[in-house]
Amino acid sequence: MTRDQVLRDLQNRFGDDILDVFQKSPKRVYMGLKPRAIAWVGEYIFRELGARFNIATGTDTPEGIEILYHFTLEDLNLMLNLRVLLDRENPVIPSLGKSIEAVNWIERELMELLGITFDGHPDPRRLLLPDNWPDGVFPLRQDYTEWDDTAIRTRGV
Amino acid sequence: MSLKLKALLKSPWVFHLATGSCNNCDIETLDCLTPRFDIERFGILLAGSIKHADVLLVTGSCNRMSAERLKVLYEQVPKPCLVVGIGSCTGSRGLFIDSYNCPVPLDHIIPVDAYIPGCPPKPEAIIAGVVKLIDKVGKG
Repeated sequence: MTRDQVLRDLQNRFGDDILDVFQKSPKRVYMGLKPRAIAWVGEYIFRELGARFNIATGTDTPEGIEILYHFTLEDLNLMLNLRVLLDRENPVIPSLGKSIEAVNWIERELMELLGITFDGHPDPRRLLLPDNWPDGVFPLRQDYTEWDDTAIRTRGV
Repeated sequence: MSLKLKALLKSPWVFHLATGSCNNCDIETLDCLTPRFDIERFGILLAGSIKHADVLLVTGSCNRMSAERLKVLYEQVPKPCLVVGIGSCTGSRGLFIDSYNCPVPLDHIIPVDAYIPGCPPKPEAIIAGVVKLIDKVGKG
């Protein structure tokens, strides 16, 4: 399939789930999705279109918590970025980690750093933070404040 | 000077320990050990195990996970031993000073004998630092 056929195919199959399509450049397309749709759209792009999963990135934006899933279709030289926006008070999204092995760790990282709940994740443990890190404190949220009284934040000069 | 310390200065074996650095200091440390700068001609040898080491070369800003491991490793070094902090991160944590994951500087975790500043320090600076440290310890 060509680039246009792929985009039209996705629009035909998942028209209800796709909120907006932004063609940034010939190599890069952003696609806004409803959060619950990521389970089947992501799996379709990975399994049927043969895309490679690069990484997922999370950001705490003023509108809410945003996750970008970066998929690459190498034959077409096309990068598909699936964008979902989650509610800051209750960020819940279905997990892709049970169907795509490579998503497993990045979802664990997003879970501990941004406090996103991945529904149905096969192994929801912490990945990077130490065991004595308090529950409910997410360091990459905008409203993060220092919790550790023993921390030293001066250079001593 | 004690016999132990004298023997230590004759041919210090170093153990290289990265505590969450960006790897630039590690690359420069490696440059010191490989043929171009070759500090092995001064008797400084890279030890494979911490239990054979006399000098601990620490790089990086000591995050919460590695600080615990750093303490465990420091307990395993045969004493007397020297600790050298390589790079700005070990001195002041550099630009990671406000990071949620770097609560305390290196010298609040283990005692440090010498700092080699720079981001990353050149191999010449590392060699100069090691020579100064040996001089300092030699004079007592």
